[in-house]
Amino acid sequence: MRNNIIIFLLLWATALSSHEMTPAYPEVKPSHVLDVVKVEMSLFNSREEIQYYQVDLFDLNWTNIPFSTTYRIIKIAYKEKKAFNVYIRKSDMDEAVYLCTTSKVRKSNKSKTLISSRICSRLDGEPA
Amino acid sequence: MKYFTIILTLFALPVSANVEITGNVAAKCIIQTTKSGAYGNPIASKLSTTPADGGVLPIIRYDVSIADSYTANITHPTAFSSSPSLSDTVAWTGSTSVTQTSVSGMSAYEAAKTVVGNTTIFDLTLAGSTWFSTASSATYGSAKPFPGGTYTSVVQASCIAK
Repeated sequence: MRNNIIIFLLLWATALSSHEMTPAYPEVKPSHVLDVVKVEMSLFNSREEIQYYQVDLFDLNWTNIPFSTTYRIIKIAYKEKKAFNVYIRKSDMDEAVYLCTTSKVRKSNKSKTLISSRICSRLDGEPA
Repeated sequence: MKYFTIILTLFALPVSANVEITGNVAAKCIIQTTKSGAYGNPIASKLSTTPADGGVLPIIRYDVSIADSYTANITHPTAFSSSPSLSDTVAWTGSTSVTQTSVSGMSAYEAAKTVVGNTTIFDLTLAGSTWFSTASSATYGSAKPFPGGTYTSVVQASCIAK
C-alpha cells in the first residue's frame, strides 16, 4: 500500500501534459446580481499543444444550459493556472448539473488522432 | 546609555515562530495525454491506429485523487476532423481498453467497463492512475483507396464527477 502511494505521488509529480479543473463539487455562492449565483472554478493547463478551453454547462441529459462567464473560450498558456467565475440564474440551478471545460484541439498536418480532454464538475453536490 | 544598549540588544534577539503549512486533498481529476495516436495505412482503403497496421495507439492517463468520485468516458472517433474531400462513406470501428494501472485493483476496470454507442465508460472506483488506449479504424467505402492527404480524428477523453 505504502509503495503504491509513493509510486502514485511520483507519477503525479511527473505530470507533463495534463488538463486539470477544480473543484469537483463547487460551492454555489450568491453573486452581486439579483437572482444570479456564481461558481468559482480553477483551470490548470499543462498540455503544451493546447491554448484554449471551452466552458459549458449541462443538465443531467447533457443539454446545454445558459450561463455567463467572462470568456466562454478561455485562453490559457502552458503551465498556467486561471481562476474563472461562472454565473448561473437561480431559476436554472434546479437543472444545472455538469460544469465542464473542454480542450480545443488545433488542426494538424499529420495523419493522427488528436485527444480532446474534458473535465466536468458537478453542481448538484457530492454523492451521498 | 547603558540601559538603552540593553534594550536594543533584547530587540535584536532572534525570534522564533511556528509557521503552519496547511493542505487540502479534495476530489480532483487530471487527464494526461501520454501519447498521441497515429494512423497507419496497411491497405489503401484502411486507416488504423493498431500497431499491427503500422499505427500508434493514443494513450490517455487519468489521475484521480479521491476514490469513487469520477467516471472516465472515452469516445472513439466516428468522423475525421480534417481530411481530403471524400466522395464515399467511411466505416468506423473503435474500442478503448485499460493498458496500465498504478493500483492492482484497477485491473477490474476493464471487465466492468460499459460501452454506450462509441463511448466507453470506466467507473474510477480507486484513487491513482489508469492508462487507457483507444483503437480507431476507418475503412473507405467499397474498398476504395483513400485519397492522398492528411487525416485527423479526435478522441474525446472526459472525466465526469459522479
